Amino acid sequence: MGAVTDDEVIRKRLLIDGDGAGDDRRINLLVKSFIKWCNSGSQEEGYSQYQRMLSTLSQCEFSMGKTLLVYDMNLREMENYEKIYKEIECSIAGAHEKIAECKKQILQAKRIRKNRQEYDALAKVIQHHPDRHETLKELEALGKELEHLSHIKESVEDKLELRRKQFHVLLSTIHELQQTLENDEKLSEVEEAQTSMEEDRKP
Amino acid sequence: MDAPGPLGQVEVFQALRQLHMTIFSQSISPCGKFLAAGNNYGQIAIFSLSAALSSEAKEESKKPVVTFQAHDGAVYSMTSTDRHLLSAGDGEVKAWLWADILKKGCKELWRRQPPYRTSLEVPEINALLLVPKENALILAGGDCQLHTMDLETGTFTRALRGHTDYIHCLALRERSPEVLSGGEDGAVRLWDLRTAKEVQTIEVYKHEECSRPQNGRWIGCLATDSDWMVCGGGPALTLWHLRSSTPTTVFPMWAPQRHVTFYQDLILSAGQGPCANHWQLSGELKAQVPSSSPGLLSLSLNQQPAAPECKVLTAAGNSCRVDVFTNLGYRAFSLSF
Repeated sequence: MGAVTDDEVIRKRLLIDGDGAGDDRRINLLVKSFIKWCNSGSQEEGYSQYQRMLSTLSQCEFSMGKTLLVYDMNLREMENYEKIYKEIECSIAGAHEKIAECKKQILQAKRIRKNRQEYDALAKVIQHHPDRHETLKELEALGKELEHLSHIKESVEDKLELRRKQFHVLLSTIHELQQTLENDEKLSEVEEAQTSMEEDRKP
Repeated sequence: MDAPGPLGQVEVFQALRQLHMTIFSQSISPCGKFLAAGNNYGQIAIFSLSAALSSEAKEESKKPVVTFQAHDGAVYSMTSTDRHLLSAGDGEVKAWLWADILKKGCKELWRRQPPYRTSLEVPEINALLLVPKENALILAGGDCQLHTMDLETGTFTRALRGHTDYIHCLALRERSPEVLSGGEDGAVRLWDLRTAKEVQTIEVYKHEECSRPQNGRWIGCLATDSDWMVCGGGPALTLWHLRSSTPTTVFPMWAPQRHVTFYQDLILSAGQGPCANHWQLSGELKAQVPSSSPGLLSLSLNQQPAAPECKVLTAAGNSCRVDVFTNLGYRAFSLSF
C-alpha cells in the first residue's frame, strides 16, 4: 500500500509539474541560501540575504497554508457529495415506491372504470323496460277496476236472486190459489151431484 | 438482408411453407419466459421471450429456440398447466413436459383420445380448457361434445352433449364453476360441471342487435368475466350480462372476431382484419393496433407472476409471424417460425 501511494504521488507530482516543482525548488533554494548566508561575511549582504530568506520562508508557509486549505475544502466537498448522493438514493427509493403506489392506484381506477361501464351498460338495458312505478300504478288502477266490477256483479246477482225468489213466491201462491179454486169447484160439483141424487130418490 | 442467389428446390419449398403457414394457437410457459406456438403443419415452436425482450436481442432471438413435429394435422389449441404443455389437434391431446421441451428429440409424455361415438372419422379438437379446481381438462371440437378428462388419472369422466354442430371455443366461469361453449350452431351453452347439465343457452343469432345473417351464426370466440360474457364470430362482437341473458353492448366491428379476452378494464379482440382491437366496456374503440399478419387467430397475454419483465401481448394468425406488443399499444417486433 505504501509503495503504491508513493508511486502515485510521484506520478502525480511529475504530471502536475506546476506548483509542486516550484515549492520543492523553493525549499531547496532556501536551504542553499541559508548555508550561503551562514558562510557569508559582510553585514549588508547578510541582511539582504536574511530578508530574502524570510520572504522565501513566508512564501513557502503561504503556499503550505493554501494547500492545507485546499485539502480541507476537498474533504468537505467529498462529504457534501456523499450527503447529496445519499439524498438522491433516498429520493430514488421514494420515487420507486411512489411508482408502485401509482400503479396500484391505476389498477384500482381501472377496476372502478370497468365497474362503472358495466353499470352503464346494464342501466341502458334497464331503461328500455318501462318504469316500475308506472307499472305499479297501472296494476293498482286495474285492481281497483276489478274490485269495482266485482262489486257491481255481486249487487246485480243479489237483485237477480231477490227477483227470482219473489217470482217463486208469486207463482207458488198462484198455484195454491188455482188448486184451491179447482178444489172448490170439485167440491161444489160433488155437492150438486149429491143433491140431484137425493131429489131423484124422493118421489 | 443479402439478396438470395438462385434458389434451390429446398429453399423454394421452405419459403412456400413459410408463406402458407397459419399459427392457430399459442401458450405461455409457467415460468413466463417461453412462448409455444402451434401451426397448421402440426409443428410447435418454442420462442424465448426473455431473450427476445432483453436489451441485447439479436435477429436469432426472434427465431424459435426449438421446433418439433407434434401432431400429424394442425395444432388447433394449446394450453399449459404448471408443468406441462398440452396440445391438441387432430383428435388427440398430447402432453409435453416444459422442463424437457427445450432439449432435442423431445417426446410426448402421454397422448389421449377422447371416446368418440364413431370410430370412422376422428374429429378435430378445437378448444382446450383447464379447470384448475378439479384438476381436469375439457376438450371440445368436431364431435359437438365436451369431454372432461381428469388430469391425474387420464380417464375421460363425462361427455356433455347439447350442441348440434361443432364447437369452436370454451371459456371458464370461475365463480360457479361453469363452462361456456360456443359453436357453429350459433348458441352459447353454459354447463354446470358438478351436475353435468346444460344450465343456460343463449342463442346469439336470435337477438336482433347482434345478429348478422350475412356472416352466419357461428360463435368464433368466447370470454367470460363471471358476470359478463363477450362473444363474437358471425354475429357482431357483443357484451352479454349472463344472469339476465341480455346483450348490453354491441361493438361496432364488421370483421368476424376469432379471439377475445378480458384484460383489466378493456376487452381485447382480434379477428379478420390485421389489427388487434382494444375496446372499452361502453363500446368505444380505445385503440386499434396493426399487426403483421393479414388476419389474427389467437391472442395471448403473458401475465405469469414469475416473469413480470416479459409481460407482453402476443398475436398470431394467418402468417408465420407472432407479433409481440410490449406495452399493448404498439407492435414492438415479431417472432417468426
